[in-house]
Amino acid sequence: MTYKITEDGNIATVHLDGEIDMDVTEKAKEVIMPLIEGGKEVHLNLKEVQYMDSSGISVLIESHQKAAELGSRVVLKEISKSVLKVIMMAKLEQILIIE
Amino acid sequence: MTFSESKEFSVHSSSLKEIRNFAREILAKDNIFKSTSDDVVLALAEAAQNIVKHAYSGQETSDSLKVEISFNNNQLTIDLYDKGMPAIPTNIKPRNVDDIKPGGLGTFFIGQIMDEVMFKTSATDWVNHLILIKNY
Repeated sequence: MTYKITEDGNIATVHLDGEIDMDVTEKAKEVIMPLIEGGKEVHLNLKEVQYMDSSGISVLIESHQKAAELGSRVVLKEISKSVLKVIMMAKLEQILIIE
Repeated sequence: MTFSESKEFSVHSSSLKEIRNFAREILAKDNIFKSTSDDVVLALAEAAQNIVKHAYSGQETSDSLKVEISFNNNQLTIDLYDKGMPAIPTNIKPRNVDDIKPGGLGTFFIGQIMDEVMFKTSATDWVNHLILIKNY
């Protein structure tokens, strides 16, 4: 997994790339959580994520819940077809913020 | 068409991508798997992840796990073998998917994707033998 962060005002967009599994979830959290804790609204661009397993889904849930706790939000953008399928299998499309 | 291919991998989270690629290569060999390949790869990877996470509690080990993928009579069978802590099948339950919290989704995914999931106890060199079946 690789990533790129762009910031525009209070919005930080994290462009994730590659496959997100148990092996990289700590790295993903290390990238995303400080942005949420710093008060940013975090947009996760998942266009280039070809694979995500339950560990990756856990990162999305944790990020969503942490942001909500701090009065902010995590928005999922341009979700790839394969990742959307897993989100829907977990019945999270109505819970996570998808734009 | 019938086939059976197996390979051993280190019990480590870094092996998960290799396991997925092993399965992808096999499933790419015939169009019958085309529409379900991603799902089957996810189920296998979740099962392998459970071995790393639960059978070994995430502890470092020099052990291997074995994945065997077979196809016979329109049935795809994935056998996973490991030498971790013995699994107690009755304790392995998917969490309620309506309970929104991180973790515990892997078993739910496996159950959604595969037609049969079972542990087999047999006299082998391995401790746990998980069988995942999908009918075509």
